[in-house]
Amino acid sequence: MNTTVEAKLAQILQGAVSPITLESVLARLGAVARRRPEELGEREREAMLGVLRVSLRLFARGGEGDLIALCEKALRGGAVDKVPTLGGAPTPEIGGLRRIEIANEADITTARFEAWAEAARIGVPKFSAVKVATAVSELARNIFFYAGSGVVEIQPRRERGKVSLRVVARDNGPGIAPEKLRAIEAGTYRSERGMGRGLMAVKKLVDSFDLDTAPGRGTTVSCEFRVVA
Amino acid sequence: MRDSVPIISIRDCLLVSIQAELGDALAREVQDALMTRASEEGCKGVVLDISSVQLIDTYITRVLSDIGRSVRFMGAACVVVGMRPAVAMTLVEMGMDMSGVDTALSLESALERLELLR
Repeated sequence: MNTTVEAKLAQILQGAVSPITLESVLARLGAVARRRPEELGEREREAMLGVLRVSLRLFARGGEGDLIALCEKALRGGAVDKVPTLGGAPTPEIGGLRRIEIANEADITTARFEAWAEAARIGVPKFSAVKVATAVSELARNIFFYAGSGVVEIQPRRERGKVSLRVVARDNGPGIAPEKLRAIEAGTYRSERGMGRGLMAVKKLVDSFDLDTAPGRGTTVSCEFRVVA
Repeated sequence: MRDSVPIISIRDCLLVSIQAELGDALAREVQDALMTRASEEGCKGVVLDISSVQLIDTYITRVLSDIGRSVRFMGAACVVVGMRPAVAMTLVEMGMDMSGVDTALSLESALERLELLR
Protein backbone atom coordinates (compact mmCIF):
# COMPACT_ATOMS: atom_id res chain seq x y z
CA MET A 1 0.00 0.00 0.00
CA ASN A 2 1.52 3.35 -0.90
CA THR A 3 2.08 5.94 1.80
CA THR A 4 -0.50 8.48 0.67
CA VAL A 5 -3.25 5.89 0.75
CA GLU A 6 -2.00 4.59 4.09
CA ALA A 7 -2.02 8.07 5.62
CA LYS A 8 -5.48 8.78 4.26
CA LEU A 9 -6.78 5.45 5.53
CA ALA A 10 -5.24 6.01 8.97
CA GLN A 11 -6.88 9.42 9.11
CA ILE A 12 -10.29 7.99 8.27
CA LEU A 13 -9.92 5.12 10.70
CA GLN A 14 -8.82 7.36 13.54
CA GLY A 15 -12.04 9.26 13.19
CA ALA A 16 -14.07 6.08 13.12
CA VAL A 17 -12.78 3.85 15.89
CA SER A 18 -13.07 4.40 19.58
CA PRO A 19 -10.01 5.52 21.56
CA ILE A 20 -7.63 2.72 22.43
CA THR A 21 -6.57 2.53 26.06
CA LEU A 22 -4.15 0.28 27.86
CA GLU A 23 -7.10 -1.38 29.53
CA SER A 24 -8.88 -2.13 26.27
CA VAL A 25 -5.69 -3.46 24.70
CA LEU A 26 -4.92 -5.76 27.63
CA ALA A 27 -8.49 -6.98 27.82
CA ARG A 28 -8.40 -7.86 24.14
CA LEU A 29 -5.01 -9.52 24.42
CA GLY A 30 -6.19 -11.52 27.40
CA ALA A 31 -9.22 -12.64 25.43
CA VAL A 32 -7.10 -13.75 22.48
CA ALA A 33 -4.52 -15.57 24.59
CA ARG A 34 -7.17 -16.86 27.01
CA ARG A 35 -4.62 -16.22 29.74
CA ARG A 36 -3.50 -13.50 32.10
CA PRO A 37 -0.67 -11.39 30.69
CA GLU A 38 1.84 -12.68 33.27
CA GLU A 39 1.24 -16.26 32.16
CA LEU A 40 2.36 -15.61 28.60
CA GLY A 41 5.59 -17.04 27.25
CA GLU A 42 8.37 -14.81 25.90
CA ARG A 43 7.55 -15.77 22.32
CA GLU A 44 3.83 -15.06 22.64
CA ARG A 45 4.60 -11.71 24.24
CA GLU A 46 6.88 -10.72 21.38
CA ALA A 47 4.35 -11.83 18.78
CA MET A 48 1.59 -9.86 20.48
CA LEU A 49 3.72 -6.75 20.82
CA GLY A 50 4.57 -7.01 17.12
CA VAL A 51 0.90 -7.06 16.20
CA LEU A 52 0.21 -4.27 18.68
CA ARG A 53 2.86 -1.99 17.20
CA VAL A 54 1.36 -2.32 13.74
CA SER A 55 -2.24 -1.77 14.80
CA LEU A 56 -1.48 0.99 17.28
CA ARG A 57 0.46 2.95 14.71
CA LEU A 58 -2.61 2.80 12.50
CA PHE A 59 -5.30 3.38 15.10
CA ALA A 60 -4.07 5.24 18.15
CA ARG A 61 -4.63 8.97 18.23
CA GLY A 62 -1.07 9.96 19.00
CA GLY A 63 0.87 8.82 22.04
CA GLU A 64 1.04 5.27 20.70
CA GLY A 65 4.69 5.11 21.75
CA ASP A 66 3.73 5.50 25.41
CA LEU A 67 0.92 2.99 25.02
CA ILE A 68 3.22 0.39 23.48
CA ALA A 69 5.75 0.92 26.27
CA LEU A 70 3.04 0.54 28.91
CA CYS A 71 1.68 -2.59 27.23
CA GLU A 72 5.16 -4.03 26.99
CA LYS A 73 5.71 -3.43 30.68
CA ALA A 74 2.31 -4.86 31.61
CA LEU A 75 2.84 -7.92 29.45
CA ARG A 76 6.16 -8.56 31.14
CA GLY A 77 4.36 -8.56 34.44
CA GLY A 78 5.78 -5.26 35.60
CA ALA A 79 3.76 -2.91 37.74
CA VAL A 80 1.88 -0.33 35.71
CA ASP A 81 -0.27 2.29 37.38
CA LYS A 82 -3.23 1.87 35.11
CA VAL A 83 -3.36 -1.93 34.75
CA PRO A 84 -6.96 -3.10 35.20
CA THR A 85 -7.51 -5.11 38.33
CA LEU A 86 -9.51 -8.32 38.28
CA GLY A 87 -12.15 -8.08 40.95
CA GLY A 88 -10.51 -6.68 44.01
CA ALA A 89 -13.75 -5.31 45.41
CA PRO A 90 -13.98 -3.08 48.45
CA THR A 91 -16.12 -4.17 51.38
CA PRO A 92 -19.67 -3.78 50.12
CA GLU A 93 -22.06 -1.57 51.97
CA ILE A 94 -25.62 -2.61 51.72
CA GLY A 95 -27.75 0.25 50.53
CA GLY A 96 -31.33 1.01 49.68
CA LEU A 97 -33.64 -0.25 47.01
CA ARG A 98 -33.44 1.14 43.49
CA ARG A 99 -36.82 1.23 41.83
CA ILE A 100 -37.20 1.91 38.12
CA GLU A 101 -40.63 2.42 36.58
CA ILE A 102 -40.80 0.94 33.09
CA ALA A 103 -43.26 2.69 30.77
CA ASN A 104 -41.31 3.44 27.59
CA GLU A 105 -38.28 2.33 25.65
CA ALA A 106 -35.96 4.85 27.27
CA ASP A 107 -36.75 3.32 30.67
CA ILE A 108 -35.08 0.10 29.52
CA THR A 109 -31.83 2.03 29.17
CA THR A 110 -32.37 3.67 32.56
CA ALA A 111 -32.88 0.25 34.17
CA ARG A 112 -29.63 -0.99 32.63
CA PHE A 113 -27.68 1.97 33.93
CA GLU A 114 -29.16 1.69 37.41
CA ALA A 115 -28.25 -2.01 37.47
CA TRP A 116 -24.76 -1.21 36.29
CA ALA A 117 -24.32 1.54 38.85
CA GLU A 118 -25.58 -0.60 41.73
CA ALA A 119 -23.39 -3.55 40.68
CA ALA A 120 -20.37 -1.27 40.53
CA ARG A 121 -21.24 0.32 43.87
CA ILE A 122 -21.32 -2.95 45.78
CA GLY A 123 -18.14 -4.21 44.14
CA VAL A 124 -19.37 -6.65 41.50
CA PRO A 125 -16.39 -7.34 39.19
CA LYS A 126 -16.68 -5.67 35.79
CA PHE A 127 -17.39 -8.82 33.77
CA SER A 128 -20.19 -9.85 36.12
CA ALA A 129 -21.60 -6.33 36.13
CA VAL A 130 -22.17 -6.67 32.38
CA LYS A 131 -24.19 -9.83 33.08
CA VAL A 132 -26.27 -8.09 35.75
CA ALA A 133 -27.00 -5.15 33.45
CA THR A 134 -27.80 -7.45 30.52
CA ALA A 135 -30.25 -9.50 32.60
CA VAL A 136 -31.96 -6.33 33.84
CA SER A 137 -32.14 -5.08 30.25
CA GLU A 138 -33.94 -8.28 29.20
CA LEU A 139 -36.39 -8.10 32.07
CA ALA A 140 -37.15 -4.41 31.51
CA ARG A 141 -37.65 -5.03 27.82
CA ASN A 142 -40.03 -7.92 28.47
CA ILE A 143 -42.11 -5.62 30.67
CA PHE A 144 -42.24 -2.93 28.00
CA PHE A 145 -42.93 -5.32 25.10
CA TYR A 146 -45.48 -7.61 26.69
CA ALA A 147 -47.08 -5.69 29.53
CA GLY A 148 -46.59 -2.07 28.48
CA SER A 149 -45.57 -0.98 31.95
CA GLY A 150 -44.23 -2.32 35.22
CA VAL A 151 -41.39 -1.91 37.65
CA VAL A 152 -37.86 -3.22 38.14
CA GLU A 153 -36.39 -3.25 41.64
CA ILE A 154 -32.74 -3.74 42.42
CA GLN A 155 -31.81 -4.52 45.99
CA PRO A 156 -28.38 -5.34 47.39
CA ARG A 157 -28.52 -7.88 50.24
CA ARG A 158 -26.23 -9.42 52.77
CA GLU A 159 -27.14 -12.77 54.28
CA ARG A 160 -24.82 -14.76 56.51
CA GLY A 161 -21.93 -12.65 55.27
CA LYS A 162 -22.74 -13.35 51.63
CA VAL A 163 -23.50 -10.38 49.42
CA SER A 164 -25.95 -10.61 46.58
CA LEU A 165 -27.97 -8.42 44.27
CA ARG A 166 -31.64 -9.16 44.07
CA VAL A 167 -33.59 -8.07 40.99
CA VAL A 168 -37.37 -8.21 40.84
CA ALA A 169 -39.28 -7.35 37.65
CA ARG A 170 -43.01 -7.00 38.14
CA ASP A 171 -45.89 -6.15 35.83
CA ASN A 172 -49.66 -6.37 35.73
CA GLY A 173 -49.72 -7.37 32.09
CA PRO A 174 -51.47 -10.30 30.44
CA GLY A 175 -49.24 -12.90 32.09
CA ILE A 176 -47.89 -15.96 30.32
CA ALA A 177 -50.25 -18.81 29.43
CA PRO A 178 -49.11 -22.29 30.56
CA GLU A 179 -48.66 -23.66 27.02
CA LYS A 180 -46.62 -20.59 26.02
CA LEU A 181 -44.53 -20.92 29.17
CA ARG A 182 -43.77 -24.55 28.29
CA ALA A 183 -42.58 -23.45 24.83
CA ILE A 184 -40.45 -20.70 26.37
CA GLU A 185 -38.86 -23.15 28.79
CA ALA A 186 -38.23 -25.66 26.01
CA GLY A 187 -36.59 -22.91 23.93
CA THR A 188 -39.02 -23.40 21.06
CA TYR A 189 -40.96 -20.16 21.52
CA ARG A 190 -40.30 -17.37 19.02
CA SER A 191 -41.88 -13.99 19.47
CA GLU A 192 -42.48 -11.67 16.56
CA ARG A 193 -40.47 -8.85 18.11
CA GLY A 194 -37.49 -10.37 19.79
CA MET A 195 -36.18 -13.87 19.78
CA GLY A 196 -38.43 -15.26 22.48
CA ARG A 197 -35.35 -16.24 24.39
CA GLY A 198 -34.90 -13.35 26.74
CA LEU A 199 -36.39 -15.02 29.78
CA MET A 200 -34.35 -18.20 29.46
CA ALA A 201 -31.27 -16.11 28.72
CA VAL A 202 -31.80 -14.32 32.05
CA LYS A 203 -32.18 -17.66 33.82
CA LYS A 204 -28.77 -18.72 32.52
CA LEU A 205 -27.13 -15.51 33.74
CA VAL A 206 -28.40 -15.51 37.31
CA ASP A 207 -27.71 -17.64 40.38
CA SER A 208 -31.33 -18.06 41.37
CA PHE A 209 -34.45 -17.54 39.30
CA ASP A 210 -38.13 -17.57 40.11
CA LEU A 211 -41.02 -16.91 37.75
CA ASP A 212 -44.53 -16.23 38.94
CA THR A 213 -47.04 -15.78 36.16
CA ALA A 214 -50.55 -16.66 35.11
CA PRO A 215 -52.99 -15.26 32.56
CA GLY A 216 -54.63 -12.16 33.99
CA ARG A 217 -52.35 -12.02 37.00
CA GLY A 218 -49.29 -10.40 35.49
CA THR A 219 -45.73 -11.59 35.67
CA THR A 220 -43.11 -11.36 38.40
CA VAL A 221 -39.55 -12.49 37.83
CA SER A 222 -37.32 -12.60 40.90
CA CYS A 223 -33.66 -13.40 40.53
CA GLU A 224 -30.44 -13.10 42.42
CA PHE A 225 -26.79 -12.61 41.58
CA ARG A 226 -24.22 -13.75 44.10
CA VAL A 227 -21.41 -11.27 44.43
CA VAL A 228 -18.05 -12.97 44.49
CA ALA A 229 -15.61 -10.36 45.60
CA MET B 1 -29.92 9.56 11.71
CA ARG B 2 -28.21 10.76 14.83
CA ASP B 3 -24.84 12.43 14.69
CA SER B 4 -23.45 9.72 16.96
CA VAL B 5 -23.65 7.17 14.14
CA PRO B 6 -21.80 8.45 11.11
CA ILE B 7 -21.57 6.06 8.18
CA ILE B 8 -18.26 6.32 6.39
CA SER B 9 -17.95 5.14 2.84
CA ILE B 10 -14.52 3.79 2.01
CA ARG B 11 -13.56 1.85 -1.12
CA ASP B 12 -16.88 0.13 -1.74
CA CYS B 13 -17.39 -0.55 1.96
CA LEU B 14 -19.52 1.15 4.57
CA LEU B 15 -18.03 1.65 8.00
CA VAL B 16 -20.21 2.36 11.02
CA SER B 17 -18.74 3.02 14.40
CA ILE B 18 -21.32 2.97 17.16
CA GLN B 19 -20.09 5.41 19.77
CA ALA B 20 -23.23 5.72 21.86
CA GLU B 21 -24.97 3.24 24.11
CA LEU B 22 -26.77 0.88 21.74
CA GLY B 23 -30.40 1.27 22.72
CA ASP B 24 -33.30 -0.22 20.81
CA ALA B 25 -34.09 2.95 18.88
CA LEU B 26 -30.46 3.52 17.92
CA ALA B 27 -30.07 -0.10 16.77
CA ARG B 28 -33.05 0.29 14.45
CA GLU B 29 -31.75 3.65 13.19
CA VAL B 30 -28.42 2.04 12.34
CA GLN B 31 -30.24 -0.75 10.54
CA ASP B 32 -32.39 1.63 8.49
CA ALA B 33 -29.57 4.01 7.62
CA LEU B 34 -27.25 1.17 6.63
CA MET B 35 -29.81 -0.50 4.41
CA THR B 36 -30.52 2.78 2.64
CA ARG B 37 -26.86 3.60 2.08
CA ALA B 38 -26.02 0.03 1.04
CA SER B 39 -28.71 -0.01 -1.62
CA GLU B 40 -27.88 3.50 -2.86
CA GLU B 41 -24.17 2.92 -3.12
CA GLY B 42 -24.10 -0.76 -3.95
CA CYS B 43 -21.30 -1.50 -1.49
CA LYS B 44 -19.27 -4.71 -1.26
CA GLY B 45 -19.17 -4.89 2.48
CA VAL B 46 -20.37 -3.39 5.74
CA VAL B 47 -18.21 -3.10 8.84
CA LEU B 48 -19.95 -2.48 12.15
CA ASP B 49 -17.60 -1.35 14.91
CA ILE B 50 -19.16 -2.12 18.30
CA SER B 51 -16.04 -1.71 20.42
CA SER B 52 -17.67 1.10 22.41
CA VAL B 53 -20.82 -0.88 23.11
CA GLN B 54 -20.88 -2.01 26.73
CA LEU B 55 -23.95 -4.18 26.65
CA ILE B 56 -25.72 -6.34 24.08
CA ASP B 57 -28.84 -8.29 24.99
CA THR B 58 -31.00 -10.72 23.00
CA TYR B 59 -32.93 -7.98 21.21
CA ILE B 60 -29.81 -6.13 20.07
CA THR B 61 -28.27 -9.46 19.03
CA ARG B 62 -31.33 -10.05 16.90
CA VAL B 63 -31.04 -6.60 15.29
CA LEU B 64 -27.33 -7.15 14.54
CA SER B 65 -28.08 -10.57 13.02
CA ASP B 66 -30.89 -9.02 10.96
CA ILE B 67 -28.53 -6.33 9.66
CA GLY B 68 -26.01 -9.02 8.71
CA ARG B 69 -28.58 -11.15 6.95
CA SER B 70 -30.14 -8.23 5.05
CA VAL B 71 -26.73 -7.00 3.94
CA ARG B 72 -25.97 -10.50 2.70
CA PHE B 73 -29.26 -10.63 0.81
CA MET B 74 -28.16 -7.46 -0.93
CA GLY B 75 -25.02 -9.20 -2.09
CA ALA B 76 -22.53 -7.70 0.34
CA ALA B 77 -20.65 -9.04 3.35
CA CYS B 78 -21.14 -7.82 6.91
CA VAL B 79 -18.50 -7.95 9.61
CA VAL B 80 -19.13 -6.98 13.23
CA VAL B 81 -15.90 -5.91 14.84
CA GLY B 82 -14.52 -5.23 18.30
CA MET B 83 -17.02 -6.94 20.57
CA ARG B 84 -15.90 -6.42 24.16
CA PRO B 85 -14.81 -9.59 26.02
CA ALA B 86 -17.44 -9.13 28.73
CA VAL B 87 -20.18 -8.72 26.13
CA ALA B 88 -19.01 -11.83 24.26
CA MET B 89 -18.90 -13.89 27.46
CA THR B 90 -22.37 -12.76 28.45
CA LEU B 91 -23.82 -13.68 25.04
CA VAL B 92 -22.21 -17.10 25.20
CA GLU B 93 -23.54 -17.67 28.68
CA MET B 94 -27.02 -16.72 27.52
CA GLY B 95 -26.75 -19.29 24.74
CA MET B 96 -26.91 -16.73 21.94
CA ASP B 97 -25.24 -16.96 18.58
CA MET B 98 -24.64 -14.31 15.96
CA SER B 99 -25.57 -16.31 12.91
CA GLY B 100 -25.90 -14.01 9.95
CA VAL B 101 -22.93 -11.86 10.81
CA ASP B 102 -19.26 -12.47 10.51
CA THR B 103 -17.19 -11.22 13.45
CA ALA B 104 -13.63 -9.96 13.64
CA LEU B 105 -11.42 -8.97 16.53
CA SER B 106 -10.22 -5.71 15.06
CA LEU B 107 -11.15 -3.24 12.39
CA GLU B 108 -7.93 -4.10 10.64
CA SER B 109 -8.74 -7.79 10.31
CA ALA B 110 -12.29 -6.94 9.26
CA LEU B 111 -11.04 -4.73 6.46
CA GLU B 112 -8.50 -7.36 5.50
CA ARG B 113 -11.27 -9.87 5.30
CA LEU B 114 -13.21 -7.56 3.04
CA GLU B 115 -10.09 -7.32 0.90
CA LEU B 116 -9.88 -3.63 1.52
CA LEU B 117 -6.23 -3.62 2.53
CA ARG B 118 -4.86 -4.90 -0.74
